[in-house]
Amino acid sequence: MKFYVCIKMVPDVNAPLQIKDGQLIQDSDRQILNAYDASAVEEALVMKEKHGGEVEVVSIGSSKASETIRKALAMGADKATHILTSGDESYDSGSYARILAKFFEDKEYDVLSLGKQSQDTDAGLTGSMVAELLNLPYATNAVGLEAEDGKLIVKRQGDTGQEMIELPTPCAVTCSNDMNEPRIPNLKGIMASKRKPMEQVELSSLGLSDDELAATTSVLGYEEKPEREAGKKFEGEAEEIAREVAQLLDTEANVI
Amino acid sequence: MSTILTHIAIADGKIKRSSLEVLSHCKQLAEQGGHSVEAVVVDADASSFVEGIQQYGASKIYVVEDPIFKNHMNTPLLKALAKVMDSANPSIFAFASTEGTKDILGALAANQNAAVLPDVSSFELIDGGIKAKRPVMAAKIISSTEAKGDTVLVSVRSGSYDLAENETSAEVVQIDFSMNESDLQMTLKEIISASGDTIDLNEAESIVAAGRGVKDEEGQKLISELAEVLNAGIGASRALTESGVYDPSLQIGQTGKVVSPQLYIAVGISGAIQHVAGMANSKVIVAINKDPDAPIFEISDYGIVGDLYKVLPPFIEELKKIKS
Repeated sequence: MKFYVCIKMVPDVNAPLQIKDGQLIQDSDRQILNAYDASAVEEALVMKEKHGGEVEVVSIGSSKASETIRKALAMGADKATHILTSGDESYDSGSYARILAKFFEDKEYDVLSLGKQSQDTDAGLTGSMVAELLNLPYATNAVGLEAEDGKLIVKRQGDTGQEMIELPTPCAVTCSNDMNEPRIPNLKGIMASKRKPMEQVELSSLGLSDDELAATTSVLGYEEKPEREAGKKFEGEAEEIAREVAQLLDTEANVI
Repeated sequence: MSTILTHIAIADGKIKRSSLEVLSHCKQLAEQGGHSVEAVVVDADASSFVEGIQQYGASKIYVVEDPIFKNHMNTPLLKALAKVMDSANPSIFAFASTEGTKDILGALAANQNAAVLPDVSSFELIDGGIKAKRPVMAAKIISSTEAKGDTVLVSVRSGSYDLAENETSAEVVQIDFSMNESDLQMTLKEIISASGDTIDLNEAESIVAAGRGVKDEEGQKLISELAEVLNAGIGASRALTESGVYDPSLQIGQTGKVVSPQLYIAVGISGAIQHVAGMANSKVIVAINKDPDAPIFEISDYGIVGDLYKVLPPFIEELKKIKS
Protein backbone atom coordinates (compact mmCIF):
# COMPACT_ATOMS: atom_id res chain seq x y z
CA MET A 1 0.00 0.00 0.00
CA LYS A 2 1.16 3.49 -0.74
CA PHE A 3 0.80 5.73 2.29
CA TYR A 4 1.12 9.48 2.24
CA VAL A 5 1.45 10.78 5.81
CA CYS A 6 0.95 14.49 6.43
CA ILE A 7 3.08 15.73 9.30
CA LYS A 8 3.42 19.05 11.05
CA MET A 9 6.07 20.78 13.09
CA VAL A 10 4.58 22.12 16.32
CA PRO A 11 5.83 23.90 19.44
CA ASP A 12 6.56 21.59 22.36
CA VAL A 13 3.54 21.97 24.65
CA ASN A 14 5.60 20.67 27.56
CA ALA A 15 8.03 23.60 27.38
CA PRO A 16 7.32 26.46 29.84
CA LEU A 17 5.30 29.31 28.38
CA GLN A 18 4.25 32.80 29.32
CA ILE A 19 1.79 35.34 28.06
CA LYS A 20 3.07 38.85 27.53
CA ASP A 21 0.71 41.55 26.27
CA GLY A 22 -1.62 38.90 24.94
CA GLN A 23 1.16 37.18 23.02
CA LEU A 24 2.38 33.69 23.65
CA ILE A 25 6.06 33.46 24.57
CA GLN A 26 7.81 30.14 24.94
CA ASP A 27 11.11 29.89 26.78
CA SER A 28 12.48 27.56 24.19
CA ASP A 29 11.62 27.73 20.52
CA ARG A 30 11.92 23.96 20.39
CA GLN A 31 9.74 22.60 17.62
CA ILE A 32 8.85 18.96 17.43
CA LEU A 33 7.01 16.45 15.30
CA ASN A 34 3.34 16.57 16.31
CA ALA A 35 2.77 13.49 18.51
CA TYR A 36 -0.39 12.45 16.63
CA ASP A 37 1.48 12.68 13.32
CA ALA A 38 4.28 10.56 14.78
CA SER A 39 1.67 7.88 15.47
CA ALA A 40 0.43 8.20 11.88
CA VAL A 41 4.00 7.70 10.59
CA GLU A 42 4.54 4.72 12.90
CA GLU A 43 1.33 3.02 11.80
CA ALA A 44 2.14 3.56 8.13
CA LEU A 45 5.56 1.98 8.70
CA VAL A 46 3.98 -1.01 10.45
CA MET A 47 1.55 -1.42 7.54
CA LYS A 48 4.43 -1.28 5.07
CA GLU A 49 6.35 -3.89 7.06
CA LYS A 50 3.30 -6.19 6.97
CA HIS A 51 1.95 -5.58 3.49
CA GLY A 52 4.73 -3.91 1.53
CA GLY A 53 4.41 -0.60 -0.25
CA GLU A 54 5.81 2.82 0.40
CA VAL A 55 5.57 5.58 2.99
CA GLU A 56 6.00 9.16 1.89
CA VAL A 57 5.68 12.09 4.27
CA VAL A 58 4.46 15.55 3.33
CA SER A 59 4.83 18.66 5.43
CA ILE A 60 3.89 22.30 4.95
CA GLY A 61 6.16 24.77 6.70
CA SER A 62 9.15 27.06 6.69
CA SER A 63 12.68 25.80 6.02
CA LYS A 64 12.89 24.91 9.71
CA ALA A 65 10.31 22.16 9.20
CA SER A 66 12.96 20.09 7.38
CA GLU A 67 14.22 18.94 10.81
CA THR A 68 10.82 17.46 11.53
CA ILE A 69 10.69 15.82 8.13
CA ARG A 70 14.16 14.28 8.75
CA LYS A 71 12.84 12.79 11.95
CA ALA A 72 10.06 10.99 10.04
CA LEU A 73 12.61 9.79 7.48
CA ALA A 74 14.84 8.59 10.32
CA MET A 75 11.91 6.63 11.71
CA GLY A 76 11.79 4.85 8.37
CA ALA A 77 9.67 6.78 5.87
CA ASP A 78 10.99 6.30 2.33
CA LYS A 79 10.82 9.83 1.02
CA ALA A 80 9.43 13.26 1.70
CA THR A 81 7.96 16.34 0.13
CA HIS A 82 8.38 19.67 1.86
CA ILE A 83 5.88 22.32 0.77
CA LEU A 84 7.88 25.40 1.57
CA THR A 85 6.30 28.52 3.06
CA SER A 86 7.89 31.71 4.31
CA GLY A 87 6.94 30.92 7.90
CA ASP A 88 5.33 34.28 8.66
CA GLU A 89 1.96 33.40 7.16
CA SER A 90 -1.15 33.10 9.34
CA TYR A 91 -2.92 30.11 7.88
CA ASP A 92 -5.67 28.19 9.60
CA SER A 93 -6.87 24.59 9.25
CA GLY A 94 -8.84 25.51 6.13
CA SER A 95 -5.79 27.05 4.43
CA TYR A 96 -3.65 23.98 5.18
CA ALA A 97 -6.41 21.65 4.01
CA ARG A 98 -6.71 23.48 0.68
CA ILE A 99 -2.93 23.38 0.19
CA LEU A 100 -2.84 19.64 0.88
CA ALA A 101 -5.87 18.96 -1.32
CA LYS A 102 -4.19 20.85 -4.17
CA PHE A 103 -0.95 18.92 -3.68
CA PHE A 104 -2.71 15.54 -3.64
CA GLU A 105 -5.03 16.32 -6.55
CA ASP A 106 -2.84 14.49 -9.09
CA LYS A 107 -1.10 12.02 -6.76
CA GLU A 108 -1.75 8.31 -6.59
CA TYR A 109 -1.98 6.53 -3.27
CA ASP A 110 -3.99 4.06 -1.24
CA VAL A 111 -4.11 5.84 2.08
CA LEU A 112 -3.74 9.47 3.01
CA SER A 113 -2.97 9.55 6.71
CA LEU A 114 -2.75 12.43 9.19
CA GLY A 115 -2.58 12.92 12.93
CA LYS A 116 -6.06 13.47 14.31
CA GLN A 117 -5.16 16.89 15.62
CA SER A 118 -2.21 19.13 16.21
CA GLN A 119 -1.07 19.12 19.82
CA ASP A 120 -0.71 22.90 20.11
CA THR A 121 -4.20 23.93 18.93
CA ASP A 122 -6.11 20.63 19.27
CA ALA A 123 -8.40 21.74 16.43
CA GLY A 124 -8.62 18.40 14.63
CA LEU A 125 -10.19 19.78 11.45
CA THR A 126 -7.61 19.42 8.70
CA GLY A 127 -7.97 15.65 8.18
CA SER A 128 -11.67 15.56 7.42
CA MET A 129 -11.40 18.81 5.46
CA VAL A 130 -8.78 17.30 3.13
CA ALA A 131 -10.89 14.16 2.75
CA GLU A 132 -13.96 16.21 1.81
CA LEU A 133 -12.02 18.41 -0.63
CA LEU A 134 -10.59 15.32 -2.34
CA ASN A 135 -13.92 13.47 -2.08
CA LEU A 136 -12.28 10.58 -0.24
CA PRO A 137 -14.04 8.24 2.17
CA TYR A 138 -12.45 8.73 5.57
CA ALA A 139 -12.35 7.76 9.21
CA THR A 140 -11.10 9.90 12.09
CA ASN A 141 -9.63 9.11 15.50
CA ALA A 142 -8.23 5.77 14.39
CA VAL A 143 -6.73 3.56 17.07
CA GLY A 144 -5.85 0.67 14.78
CA LEU A 145 -5.36 -0.09 11.06
CA GLU A 146 -5.46 -3.31 9.08
CA ALA A 147 -5.50 -4.09 5.39
CA GLU A 148 -7.78 -6.72 3.90
CA ASP A 149 -8.30 -7.46 0.20
CA GLY A 150 -7.07 -4.02 -0.76
CA LYS A 151 -9.39 -2.34 1.72
CA LEU A 152 -8.45 -0.47 4.84
CA ILE A 153 -10.02 -1.64 8.08
CA VAL A 154 -10.02 1.16 10.62
CA LYS A 155 -10.74 0.74 14.29
CA ARG A 156 -11.85 4.15 15.49
CA GLN A 157 -12.77 5.45 18.91
CA GLY A 158 -16.31 6.77 18.82
CA ASP A 159 -18.50 8.26 21.52
CA THR A 160 -19.59 5.03 23.12
CA GLY A 161 -17.27 2.39 21.80
CA GLN A 162 -14.87 1.35 19.10
CA GLU A 163 -16.21 1.21 15.57
CA MET A 164 -14.74 -1.12 12.96
CA ILE A 165 -15.02 0.59 9.58
CA GLU A 166 -14.06 -0.77 6.19
CA LEU A 167 -12.95 1.83 3.66
CA PRO A 168 -12.19 1.34 -0.03
CA THR A 169 -8.93 2.82 -1.25
CA PRO A 170 -7.97 5.52 -1.86
CA CYS A 171 -9.15 6.82 1.50
CA ALA A 172 -8.09 9.14 4.30
CA VAL A 173 -7.61 8.36 7.97
CA THR A 174 -6.69 10.46 11.00
CA CYS A 175 -4.70 8.79 13.75
CA SER A 176 -4.89 8.88 17.52
CA ASN A 177 -1.73 8.62 19.59
CA ASP A 178 -3.42 5.68 21.34
CA MET A 179 -2.69 3.63 18.25
CA ASN A 180 0.95 2.81 18.98
CA GLU A 181 4.23 3.97 20.51
CA PRO A 182 6.14 5.74 17.73
CA ARG A 183 9.63 4.31 17.34
CA ILE A 184 12.63 6.41 18.36
CA PRO A 185 14.97 6.71 15.39
CA ASN A 186 18.19 4.76 15.89
CA LEU A 187 21.61 5.82 14.63
CA LYS A 188 21.27 3.73 11.48
CA GLY A 189 17.92 5.36 10.75
CA ILE A 190 19.32 8.83 11.33
CA MET A 191 22.29 8.16 9.01
CA ALA A 192 20.01 6.70 6.35
CA SER A 193 17.61 9.66 6.57
CA LYS A 194 20.31 11.97 5.24
CA ARG A 195 20.43 10.07 1.97
CA LYS A 196 16.68 9.81 1.51
CA PRO A 197 15.02 12.02 -1.08
CA MET A 198 13.35 15.18 0.22
CA GLU A 199 11.74 17.18 -2.53
CA GLN A 200 11.07 20.84 -1.91
CA VAL A 201 8.00 22.36 -3.50
CA GLU A 202 7.48 26.10 -3.32
CA LEU A 203 3.95 26.82 -2.11
CA SER A 204 3.56 29.40 -4.87
CA SER A 205 4.13 26.70 -7.50
CA LEU A 206 0.91 24.94 -6.49
CA GLY A 207 -1.07 27.83 -7.95
CA LEU A 208 -3.48 28.54 -5.09
CA SER A 209 -5.19 31.91 -5.10
CA ASP A 210 -4.98 34.32 -2.18
CA ASP A 211 -8.63 33.56 -1.48
CA GLU A 212 -7.91 29.85 -1.21
CA LEU A 213 -5.05 30.47 1.19
CA ALA A 214 -6.87 33.05 3.29
CA ALA A 215 -7.73 32.09 6.86
CA THR A 216 -11.30 32.61 8.04
CA THR A 217 -10.27 32.34 11.68
CA SER A 218 -7.69 34.37 13.53
CA VAL A 219 -6.24 34.35 17.01
CA LEU A 220 -6.79 37.72 18.67
CA GLY A 221 -4.64 36.98 21.69
CA TYR A 222 -3.93 34.68 24.56
CA GLU A 223 -4.90 34.82 28.19
CA GLU A 224 -4.18 32.89 31.34
CA LYS A 225 -6.57 30.19 32.27
CA PRO A 226 -8.53 31.12 35.37
CA GLU A 227 -6.26 29.55 37.99
CA ARG A 228 -7.68 26.85 40.17
CA GLU A 229 -6.61 27.52 43.71
CA ALA A 230 -5.25 24.49 45.49
CA GLY A 231 -7.82 23.72 48.16
CA LYS A 232 -7.42 21.89 51.40
CA LYS A 233 -4.96 19.05 51.74
CA PHE A 234 -5.60 16.39 54.31
CA GLU A 235 -2.79 14.34 55.76
CA GLY A 236 -2.79 11.92 58.64
CA GLU A 237 -4.66 8.80 59.63
CA ALA A 238 -6.36 7.42 56.49
CA GLU A 239 -9.68 6.48 58.03
CA GLU A 240 -10.10 9.80 59.79
CA ILE A 241 -9.31 12.04 56.81
CA ALA A 242 -11.35 9.89 54.44
CA ARG A 243 -14.45 10.32 56.60
CA GLU A 244 -13.77 14.02 57.10
CA VAL A 245 -13.55 14.72 53.35
CA ALA A 246 -16.69 12.65 52.66
CA GLN A 247 -18.53 14.82 55.20
CA LEU A 248 -17.18 18.03 53.67
CA LEU A 249 -18.30 16.99 50.18
CA ASP A 250 -21.80 16.80 51.58
CA THR A 251 -21.93 19.77 53.95
CA GLU A 252 -19.45 22.23 52.41
CA ALA A 253 -19.15 21.43 48.69
CA ASN A 254 -22.73 20.24 48.45
CA VAL A 255 -22.05 17.73 45.68
CA ILE A 256 -23.29 14.48 47.23
CA MET B 1 -32.21 38.82 11.68
CA SER B 2 -30.19 35.72 11.17
CA THR B 3 -30.56 32.09 12.07
CA ILE B 4 -28.61 30.20 14.70
CA LEU B 5 -28.92 26.49 14.09
CA THR B 6 -28.09 23.98 16.84
CA HIS B 7 -27.30 20.32 16.30
CA ILE B 8 -28.98 17.97 18.77
CA ALA B 9 -26.94 14.81 19.34
CA ILE B 10 -28.65 11.60 20.43
CA ALA B 11 -26.98 8.82 22.38
CA ASP B 12 -28.62 5.66 23.71
CA GLY B 13 -32.08 6.93 22.86
CA LYS B 14 -31.63 10.18 24.74
CA ILE B 15 -30.84 13.76 23.84
CA LYS B 16 -27.29 14.55 24.94
CA ARG B 17 -27.27 17.08 27.73
CA SER B 18 -24.28 18.81 26.15
CA SER B 19 -26.41 19.54 23.06
CA LEU B 20 -29.10 21.14 25.21
CA GLU B 21 -26.43 23.23 26.93
CA VAL B 22 -25.45 24.56 23.51
CA LEU B 23 -29.11 25.12 22.56
CA SER B 24 -29.68 27.00 25.84
CA HIS B 25 -26.75 29.29 25.07
CA CYS B 26 -27.87 29.83 21.46
CA LYS B 27 -31.38 30.69 22.65
CA GLN B 28 -29.91 33.34 24.91
CA LEU B 29 -27.72 34.76 22.11
CA ALA B 30 -30.74 34.80 19.80
CA GLU B 31 -32.88 36.69 22.29
CA GLN B 32 -30.16 39.24 22.91
CA GLY B 33 -29.54 39.88 19.23
CA GLY B 34 -33.05 39.42 17.81
CA HIS B 35 -32.10 36.26 15.91
CA SER B 36 -34.01 33.02 15.52
CA VAL B 37 -32.76 29.80 17.04
CA GLU B 38 -33.47 26.52 15.28
CA ALA B 39 -32.44 22.94 15.90
CA VAL B 40 -31.69 19.85 13.86
CA VAL B 41 -31.94 16.25 14.99
CA VAL B 42 -30.64 13.42 12.83
CA ASP B 43 -31.46 9.95 14.11
CA ALA B 44 -33.19 6.67 13.26
CA ASP B 45 -35.91 7.79 15.63
CA ALA B 46 -35.52 11.55 15.25
CA SER B 47 -39.20 12.60 15.57
CA SER B 48 -39.42 11.26 19.09
CA PHE B 49 -37.01 13.91 20.33
CA VAL B 50 -38.97 16.93 19.09
CA GLU B 51 -40.79 17.37 22.39
CA GLY B 52 -37.57 17.33 24.39
CA ILE B 53 -35.97 19.91 22.08
CA GLN B 54 -38.99 22.23 22.33
CA GLN B 55 -38.35 22.57 26.06
CA TYR B 56 -35.22 24.55 25.24
CA GLY B 57 -36.59 27.18 22.96
CA ALA B 58 -35.94 26.21 19.33
CA SER B 59 -38.52 27.91 17.09
CA LYS B 60 -38.06 25.47 14.22
CA ILE B 61 -36.87 21.87 14.41
CA TYR B 62 -35.48 20.06 11.37
CA VAL B 63 -36.03 16.32 11.63
CA VAL B 64 -34.02 13.89 9.52
CA GLU B 65 -35.20 10.37 10.21
CA ASP B 66 -33.79 7.27 8.56
CA PRO B 67 -32.74 3.83 9.82
CA ILE B 68 -29.24 4.53 8.52
CA PHE B 69 -28.67 6.88 11.47
CA LYS B 70 -28.96 4.10 14.03
CA ASN B 71 -25.19 4.15 14.38
CA HIS B 72 -22.80 7.00 13.69
CA MET B 73 -21.30 7.07 10.21
CA ASN B 74 -19.83 10.21 8.72
CA THR B 75 -21.07 10.00 5.13
CA PRO B 76 -24.84 9.94 5.77
CA LEU B 77 -24.58 12.43 8.63
CA LEU B 78 -22.65 14.86 6.43
CA LYS B 79 -25.19 14.53 3.66
CA ALA B 80 -28.09 15.11 6.07
CA LEU B 81 -26.52 18.16 7.71
CA ALA B 82 -25.58 19.69 4.35
CA LYS B 83 -29.18 19.25 3.24
CA VAL B 84 -30.53 20.91 6.38
CA MET B 85 -28.08 23.77 5.98
CA ASP B 86 -29.36 24.35 2.47
CA SER B 87 -32.88 24.77 3.88
CA ALA B 88 -32.07 26.64 7.07
CA ASN B 89 -29.31 28.81 5.64
CA PRO B 90 -27.88 29.49 9.12
CA SER B 91 -25.34 32.18 9.97
CA ILE B 92 -24.16 30.09 12.89
CA PHE B 93 -24.36 26.32 13.25
CA ALA B 94 -23.49 25.18 16.77
CA PHE B 95 -22.65 21.66 17.97
CA ALA B 96 -21.74 19.95 21.21
CA SER B 97 -18.15 18.79 20.90
CA THR B 98 -18.68 15.01 20.87
CA GLU B 99 -16.60 12.40 19.00
CA GLY B 100 -19.42 12.31 16.47
CA THR B 101 -19.07 16.06 15.93
CA LYS B 102 -15.29 15.88 15.71
CA ASP B 103 -15.67 13.26 12.99
CA ILE B 104 -17.58 15.54 10.64
CA LEU B 105 -16.98 19.18 11.59
CA GLY B 106 -14.03 19.85 9.28
CA ALA B 107 -15.62 18.02 6.36
CA LEU B 108 -18.91 19.89 6.77
CA ALA B 109 -17.05 23.21 6.88
CA ALA B 110 -15.15 22.31 3.70
CA ASN B 111 -18.35 21.14 2.03
CA GLN B 112 -20.24 24.33 2.90
CA ASN B 113 -17.27 26.64 2.51
CA ALA B 114 -17.88 27.77 6.09
CA ALA B 115 -15.55 29.14 8.74
CA VAL B 116 -15.19 26.83 11.72
CA LEU B 117 -14.02 26.93 15.34
CA PRO B 118 -13.92 23.61 17.17
CA ASP B 119 -14.02 22.74 20.84
CA VAL B 120 -14.58 26.21 22.30
CA SER B 121 -15.33 26.85 25.97
CA SER B 122 -17.47 29.92 25.19
CA PHE B 123 -18.58 31.99 22.22
CA GLU B 124 -20.41 35.20 21.45
CA LEU B 125 -21.72 36.79 18.28
CA ILE B 126 -19.76 39.57 16.61
CA ASP B 127 -20.32 41.41 13.40
CA GLY B 128 -19.94 38.83 10.62
CA GLY B 129 -19.17 35.85 12.79
CA ILE B 130 -18.26 34.74 16.28
CA LYS B 131 -15.60 35.35 18.89
CA ALA B 132 -14.68 32.38 21.05
CA LYS B 133 -12.37 31.15 23.78
CA ARG B 134 -10.47 27.95 23.14
CA PRO B 135 -8.12 26.13 25.49
CA VAL B 136 -4.82 25.54 23.64
CA MET B 137 -1.29 24.26 24.35
CA ALA B 138 -2.61 21.20 26.22
CA ALA B 139 -5.26 23.48 27.78
CA LYS B 140 -2.56 25.41 29.66
CA ILE B 141 -3.76 28.72 28.22
CA ILE B 142 -6.82 30.18 26.55
CA SER B 143 -6.79 31.67 23.08
CA SER B 144 -9.28 34.29 22.07
CA THR B 145 -10.18 33.54 18.46
CA GLU B 146 -12.61 34.89 15.93
CA ALA B 147 -14.18 33.25 12.91
CA LYS B 148 -15.79 35.22 10.13
CA GLY B 149 -17.89 34.17 7.21
CA ASP B 150 -21.42 33.93 5.85
CA THR B 151 -21.67 30.69 7.76
CA VAL B 152 -19.69 29.81 10.88
CA LEU B 153 -19.62 26.37 12.47
CA VAL B 154 -18.72 26.09 16.14
CA SER B 155 -18.48 23.17 18.57
CA VAL B 156 -18.70 23.69 22.31
CA ARG B 157 -17.14 21.65 25.11
CA SER B 158 -19.61 19.93 27.41
CA GLY B 159 -20.27 21.72 30.69
CA SER B 160 -19.55 25.17 29.22
CA TYR B 161 -23.10 26.43 29.67
CA ASP B 162 -25.98 25.76 32.06
CA LEU B 163 -29.25 24.31 30.88
CA ALA B 164 -32.07 26.85 30.65
CA GLU B 165 -35.56 25.58 29.92
CA ASN B 166 -37.60 27.88 27.74
CA GLU B 167 -40.59 26.09 26.32
CA THR B 168 -41.56 27.10 22.81
CA SER B 169 -43.92 25.48 20.37
CA ALA B 170 -41.71 24.85 17.40
CA GLU B 171 -42.47 24.39 13.75
CA VAL B 172 -41.34 20.90 12.78
CA VAL B 173 -39.79 20.45 9.34
CA GLN B 174 -39.25 16.91 8.07
CA ILE B 175 -36.33 16.65 5.68
CA ASP B 176 -36.53 13.82 3.15
CA PHE B 177 -33.48 11.65 3.22
CA SER B 178 -32.34 8.62 1.35
CA MET B 179 -28.97 7.18 0.63
CA ASN B 180 -27.94 4.23 -1.49
CA GLU B 181 -25.64 1.69 0.07
CA SER B 182 -23.17 2.34 -2.74
CA ASP B 183 -22.99 6.06 -1.89
CA LEU B 184 -21.99 5.26 1.66
CA GLN B 185 -18.40 4.55 0.60
CA MET B 186 -17.85 2.77 3.89
CA THR B 187 -19.06 -0.23 5.83
CA LEU B 188 -19.54 -0.15 9.56
CA LYS B 189 -18.63 -3.73 10.36
CA GLU B 190 -18.88 -3.83 14.09
CA ILE B 191 -19.15 -1.71 17.21
CA ILE B 192 -17.16 -2.88 20.19
CA SER B 193 -18.98 -1.16 23.04
CA ALA B 194 -17.63 -0.37 26.43
CA SER B 195 -18.82 -3.04 28.82
CA GLY B 196 -22.49 -2.94 29.76
CA ASP B 197 -24.41 0.10 30.82
CA THR B 198 -21.60 2.47 31.68
CA ILE B 199 -22.48 6.11 32.28
CA ASP B 200 -21.54 8.52 29.49
CA LEU B 201 -18.66 10.58 30.85
CA ASN B 202 -19.67 13.71 28.97
CA GLU B 203 -23.06 13.61 30.63
CA ALA B 204 -22.15 12.38 34.12
CA GLU B 205 -22.76 14.60 37.16
CA SER B 206 -19.98 12.81 39.03
CA ILE B 207 -16.91 10.96 37.79
CA VAL B 208 -14.55 8.63 39.59
CA ALA B 209 -11.29 8.36 37.67
CA ALA B 210 -8.65 5.69 38.21
CA GLY B 211 -4.94 6.17 37.60
CA ARG B 212 -1.72 4.23 37.86
CA GLY B 213 -2.13 3.95 41.64
CA VAL B 214 -5.01 1.55 41.06
CA LYS B 215 -2.85 -1.52 40.73
CA ASP B 216 -5.05 -4.58 40.81
CA GLU B 217 -8.54 -6.02 40.82
CA GLU B 218 -9.02 -5.05 44.43
CA GLY B 219 -8.35 -1.42 43.47
CA GLN B 220 -10.73 -1.62 40.52
CA LYS B 221 -13.37 -3.07 42.81
CA LEU B 222 -13.00 -0.09 45.13
CA ILE B 223 -13.34 2.28 42.15
CA SER B 224 -16.55 0.52 41.07
CA GLU B 225 -17.94 0.64 44.60
CA LEU B 226 -17.23 4.34 44.94
CA ALA B 227 -18.79 5.03 41.53
CA GLU B 228 -21.86 3.03 42.49
CA VAL B 229 -22.43 4.94 45.72
CA LEU B 230 -22.21 8.26 43.88
CA ASN B 231 -23.99 7.07 40.74
CA ALA B 232 -20.85 8.29 39.00
CA GLY B 233 -19.28 7.49 35.66
CA ILE B 234 -15.93 5.71 35.71
CA GLY B 235 -13.03 7.26 33.87
CA ALA B 236 -9.34 6.44 33.70
CA SER B 237 -5.98 7.97 32.97
CA ARG B 238 -4.13 7.04 29.81
CA ALA B 239 -1.88 4.61 31.74
CA LEU B 240 -4.85 2.40 32.61
CA THR B 241 -6.60 2.51 29.24
CA GLU B 242 -3.36 1.74 27.39
CA SER B 243 -2.62 -1.23 29.60
CA GLY B 244 -6.13 -2.48 28.87
CA VAL B 245 -7.39 -2.32 32.46
CA TYR B 246 -10.14 0.10 31.39
CA ASP B 247 -11.87 0.52 28.07
CA PRO B 248 -10.27 3.14 25.77
CA SER B 249 -13.56 5.06 25.61
CA LEU B 250 -13.12 5.85 29.30
CA GLN B 251 -9.86 7.75 28.85
CA ILE B 252 -9.95 11.30 30.21
CA GLY B 253 -7.41 13.83 29.01
CA GLN B 254 -6.13 15.77 26.03
CA THR B 255 -6.30 12.62 23.90
CA GLY B 256 -9.48 11.18 25.33
CA LYS B 257 -12.58 12.81 26.70
CA VAL B 258 -12.75 16.33 28.07
CA VAL B 259 -15.16 16.35 30.99
CA SER B 260 -16.54 18.89 33.44
CA PRO B 261 -18.75 17.17 36.00
CA GLN B 262 -19.94 18.63 39.30
CA LEU B 263 -17.68 16.23 41.18
CA TYR B 264 -14.44 14.64 39.94
CA ILE B 265 -12.61 12.19 42.16
CA ALA B 266 -9.11 11.40 40.93
CA VAL B 267 -7.88 8.19 42.52
CA GLY B 268 -4.21 7.34 42.21
CA ILE B 269 -3.76 9.90 39.43
CA SER B 270 -0.63 12.05 39.63
CA GLY B 271 -1.99 14.83 37.41
CA ALA B 272 0.14 15.00 34.25
CA ILE B 273 -0.80 18.03 32.12
CA GLN B 274 -2.35 15.81 29.45
CA HIS B 275 -4.75 14.39 32.04
CA VAL B 276 -5.47 17.74 33.69
CA ALA B 277 -6.34 19.14 30.23
CA GLY B 278 -9.32 16.79 30.25
CA MET B 279 -10.74 17.50 33.69
CA ALA B 280 -9.57 20.86 35.03
CA ASN B 281 -12.98 22.44 34.46
CA SER B 282 -14.74 20.09 36.85
CA LYS B 283 -16.59 21.99 39.56
CA VAL B 284 -15.23 20.19 42.60
CA ILE B 285 -12.06 18.09 42.36
CA VAL B 286 -11.06 15.53 44.97
CA ALA B 287 -7.68 13.83 44.71
CA ILE B 288 -6.54 10.73 46.54
CA ASN B 289 -2.84 10.07 46.16
CA LYS B 290 -0.11 8.80 48.43
CA ASP B 291 2.50 11.20 47.03
CA PRO B 292 2.01 14.54 48.83
CA ASP B 293 3.84 16.30 45.98
CA ALA B 294 1.63 14.92 43.20
CA PRO B 295 0.68 17.82 40.88
CA ILE B 296 -2.99 16.81 41.03
CA PHE B 297 -3.14 18.38 44.52
CA GLU B 298 -2.38 21.80 43.03
CA ILE B 299 -5.77 21.86 41.32
CA SER B 300 -7.78 19.88 43.86
CA ASP B 301 -10.36 21.37 46.19
CA TYR B 302 -9.95 18.44 48.55
CA GLY B 303 -6.69 16.53 48.55
CA ILE B 304 -6.37 13.34 50.55
CA VAL B 305 -2.76 12.28 51.00
CA GLY B 306 -2.85 8.57 51.59
CA ASP B 307 -2.88 5.05 50.24
CA LEU B 308 -6.04 4.63 48.20
CA TYR B 309 -6.44 1.08 49.49
CA LYS B 310 -6.68 2.45 53.02
CA VAL B 311 -8.59 5.65 52.19
CA LEU B 312 -11.33 4.32 49.91
CA PRO B 313 -13.05 1.76 52.20
CA PRO B 314 -13.88 4.28 54.96
CA PHE B 315 -14.56 6.99 52.34
CA ILE B 316 -17.11 4.75 50.60
CA GLU B 317 -18.63 3.73 53.92
CA GLU B 318 -19.06 7.34 55.04
CA LEU B 319 -20.62 8.33 51.69
CA LYS B 320 -23.07 5.43 52.01
CA LYS B 321 -24.09 6.75 55.41
CA ILE B 322 -24.61 10.25 54.03
CA LYS B 323 -26.63 8.92 51.11
CA SER B 324 -28.94 6.79 53.23
